[in-house]
Amino acid sequence: MPSWSSHLLTEYFAAVNAAADETSAIASAVERATEMVEAEVGAVVREGRVFGAYGFGPVVPETALHEVAAGQPMLEVPYVGELHAVSNPLGSETGDALIVARLSEPFEPAERQMLQGMGQVLGLALRSIRVLAAERHMRAEQERQASTAQTRQRLVESLLTIQRAISARRPLPEILDAVTGGAHDLLGGATVTLMLAEGGTDRRLTVASKQGEDVSPPESLARAAMAGGAVVVRPDGAGWMIAAPVRVTGEMAGSLVAHLPGVAGQQNEQRDQLAAFAQQVSLALTDARTVEAVREAHHDPITGLPNRALFLKILNRVLASRVTSSDPTSVLFIDLDRFKAVNDSLGHDAGDQLLALVARRLRGCVRASDTTARLGGDEFAALVHDSPAETAEVVGERIVTALKEPFRVAGREVFIGASVGIAISRESEQKSEELLHNADVAMYRAKKDGPGRVLVYQPYMHAEALDRLSLRGDLQRALREREFRLQYQPLIRLADGQAAGVEALIRWQSPTRGFVSPVDFIPIAEEFGLIVDIGQWVLETSAVQVAKWRRDHPDLTLNVNVSGHQLVHPRFADNVMRALAIAGLPSSAVTLELTESVLMSEPDLGMSALHVLRGLGVQLSIDDFGTGYSSLAYLRELPVDELKIDRAFIARAELTSEDLALVRTIVELGQILGLRVVAEGIENAAQLAALRGLGCGYGQGYHLCRPVDPEVVLERLSGSPVGVLDHRSTA
Amino acid sequence: MQTNPHRWFGVGQSSAPDSRKAGAEAASEAIGGREAKAVFVFASVTHDLPELLRGVRMEAGPDAEIVGATTMGELGSAGTTVGGLSVAALGGDGFTVQARAAHVYQSDPRAAGAAAAEALHDMDDEHKVLILLADGLARQTHEIVRGAYSAIGASVPLVGGFAADDRQFAKTYQFFNDEVLSEAVIGLALGSDGPMGIGVAHGWRRTEPPMMVSKATGPHIYELDHEPALDVLLRRNNFDGTAAEFFSQGHSLQPLGLSRRSGEDIRVIHAGDDEARSVWGTADVPQGALVWLMEGDRQSLLDGAAWSCTEAVARLEGLPPLGVLAFDCGGRWAGLVEGGLEQEIQAMRTALSDAPFAGFYTLGEIARVRGAMGTHALTLVTLALA
Repeated sequence: MPSWSSHLLTEYFAAVNAAADETSAIASAVERATEMVEAEVGAVVREGRVFGAYGFGPVVPETALHEVAAGQPMLEVPYVGELHAVSNPLGSETGDALIVARLSEPFEPAERQMLQGMGQVLGLALRSIRVLAAERHMRAEQERQASTAQTRQRLVESLLTIQRAISARRPLPEILDAVTGGAHDLLGGATVTLMLAEGGTDRRLTVASKQGEDVSPPESLARAAMAGGAVVVRPDGAGWMIAAPVRVTGEMAGSLVAHLPGVAGQQNEQRDQLAAFAQQVSLALTDARTVEAVREAHHDPITGLPNRALFLKILNRVLASRVTSSDPTSVLFIDLDRFKAVNDSLGHDAGDQLLALVARRLRGCVRASDTTARLGGDEFAALVHDSPAETAEVVGERIVTALKEPFRVAGREVFIGASVGIAISRESEQKSEELLHNADVAMYRAKKDGPGRVLVYQPYMHAEALDRLSLRGDLQRALREREFRLQYQPLIRLADGQAAGVEALIRWQSPTRGFVSPVDFIPIAEEFGLIVDIGQWVLETSAVQVAKWRRDHPDLTLNVNVSGHQLVHPRFADNVMRALAIAGLPSSAVTLELTESVLMSEPDLGMSALHVLRGLGVQLSIDDFGTGYSSLAYLRELPVDELKIDRAFIARAELTSEDLALVRTIVELGQILGLRVVAEGIENAAQLAALRGLGCGYGQGYHLCRPVDPEVVLERLSGSPVGVLDHRSTA
Repeated sequence: MQTNPHRWFGVGQSSAPDSRKAGAEAASEAIGGREAKAVFVFASVTHDLPELLRGVRMEAGPDAEIVGATTMGELGSAGTTVGGLSVAALGGDGFTVQARAAHVYQSDPRAAGAAAAEALHDMDDEHKVLILLADGLARQTHEIVRGAYSAIGASVPLVGGFAADDRQFAKTYQFFNDEVLSEAVIGLALGSDGPMGIGVAHGWRRTEPPMMVSKATGPHIYELDHEPALDVLLRRNNFDGTAAEFFSQGHSLQPLGLSRRSGEDIRVIHAGDDEARSVWGTADVPQGALVWLMEGDRQSLLDGAAWSCTEAVARLEGLPPLGVLAFDCGGRWAGLVEGGLEQEIQAMRTALSDAPFAGFYTLGEIARVRGAMGTHALTLVTLALA
């Protein structure tokens, strides 16, 4: 029966890969492997521990199993005897192994081979389960955050409605009903009762407003909240009771009580929400016009700046009060660059600290009579009135310059930046929201041109913004409907004209837009977070393709471009390794290309992932080297293997002596640091000759080989050396 | 040749229509007035089972562990019966007996196997075996046996069989002392100061070519080589008709052999669905497995019976068999039913040198001596005691 073992592998593979978690994958693998080779016992040794021990009965000889994992060929099992053991690695991690042991006879080569395969399959399954588990966890977390954010948004809206009612001096009962109604809605239909103490000696509690079906809550709970001056949560039969105290000018005046059915675990959030409503009651009761109360409701607590609502109100007033059209009103929309990175890496406290510092600098950029505001997140606004349009632009530039300077946060220097959009109005009819929105659109347009720009709104931008949104939709569809394809451009070894590798380049032929250049869609994909999926698709697809080509060209390597957004993705390293594992492409055959600007803007975030990948054998390349800071410091700190000289330095048909000097410097730098140097954009024989003369090792460009479809790559790889003849003809 | 007088084994059968009387008759013949430590009862579901156990208990006395299962036919030294009863009893100072029963929950059949294995608790006899009698209609019967194996490990062999209900496939019963259980597994740990031997053999041959199970869940096979499984079976049997006709017209046995190191792990396919074009049996068929249709002529099946007994006796360290418990597959019964059953009994008598034996036709057999696999189909499993 020579082939019984291979028959079993498919069966084993199906079973192990069906497992939903690590424990069941291990149990399934151990049991099947044990049964299939008619062994008595089996186990997995992983990360120094024994898992899934099978067939040992109550006492598992762990030490002996560790010895087998380390290479010991026999396993002593109490009451059974000395068994022939074989240890099958789960992957490259040393020491992790699937072990089986058999009493009757040693394992034959065919069985060992099958068991090795089983070990590998299990290793792969366990790794993918980990990746999946991490994914699931992340998805759940995102959903939770999204719903929290949504609830928070509804809370804010609801509170703002009440606030408006208070500001508008609506009748008190109406405001109180708005409070209980708002709380009732937000707490998923819970019965909410407002109990207020009457005057007089006994301070009897009466129901001032109530929303919901349930009976009124016990007075005792309301009194408990009043006595303690804090929110009280109590289990109540089928659900929970929450009571929040209500104060009037600092004195206890009553309690807002909610009766929540079922579900434990959410009381913290609900308690806070109810407290927020109780606060509204207090405000309404105290006096809607109390300056402090209004201030709290209208100012951003982190920066002390007016919030969006107040900003719009002020803007409204300014717009409405304008009498001349001499000097217009300008709104500046300011969006911070890289704030999210700081917030994510240094924590929210540092983020808040940074926002407060930004606010201080913003105030320094405008006149005392101008208004600055925090609209939310990392968005700020400034209102500059009765000034020429040029002044607004000057202010915008001033803000960009001010925010480019480093901030000192959490004991370290932090670099951020800002993009500014300006909308200018000369009409008194203009709506404040519209003006702010236009500034927002201009800001987006400015951001698209790169960080640190200031742009004034033009009507065409509106159409562009709409187009951006529709492009996003098209991109999502493109990913779903597989509209992307890849072309490959060979990297030519200049010494012999042979292709050393290929760079994968994404192409998008949209059914509605026609061919869309990556230059146009990649920034949108980055902006809307689609780049992670697109980048992964490129990596997976090209890895499979190159693995296939390597059967004929075993030394062929793959270069893939990586966006900064991918780099900071927490699972980036896992994603890369998973793609390579699936394709069966060794990590050493892959070079990830990162642009200088990415490395500079996210110096810390991506670093750990890059080091992990470098440790696993993946190579790294700096794309468009020379265009950015070209800092020697990061070349020393980063695990870089390759530099790509930007096409800008080679673009001229005849290279000038300055160009040559720069290229020579980079080539020499590469030689000193032991890095490959690739010249991009070689378009004629003269350029090729010059680069070869400078000792540049590799080249890419139309003169050598254009990006081609995968079907013709093999032809190119097997064809005659590229560029050599040209060189001779010009020499 | 030496027999140890302090261990004894006896068998009895009865075809009395009255259940209590049948129980008493068969038990009386097996026990023969001695003090029984364990009584094994294999009976048809057509009996009034509680009455039958009362009859057995009257003869066995209050201290004997009574265990058993319902059958697809009973067998013993005197021959085979359907709708009857076969009893084995053992006793003497040389044997130790402990029994446990556990309910098989669908969600965790493994736990039931492990609980039944508790019967071995604190038993320190020189030779030990765990005899399992389990509901053959439980899902994932493999898992029950794996549960027992994972609890006790390789140091103790396993034997036994899955209970049947003649050919109704509706509800089977297990006996635990005076209780008639269903969806249960009974574990009887047997310790002895004499050797024990286990034999496993079937007598089926592969018919080429093999097929890949391309779609299956549990015991259901939907596709073989990416073709509806029922179509494949009908075609390979040159049968034109419905699944019901196919499985009831003499083709009811469709053994499938899974490729294994030392031969085949056999599954019996006994039903099909005309609409879904699927087929199924009683034990899981893993997706991705390579399977052969198995065939067996009468002689090879009889050879299998003889071989199982011979193998069991050969492991008795040269001692003659005191008696044998036999777990024979209901599928084999069907294959031998036309005149072959008597020949099988004769073959067993010969191989066992006329030592007494009793057992039943099962919905699946249990035996683990070497390796970790404990479930079988279409085989004859024998436990010989010396």
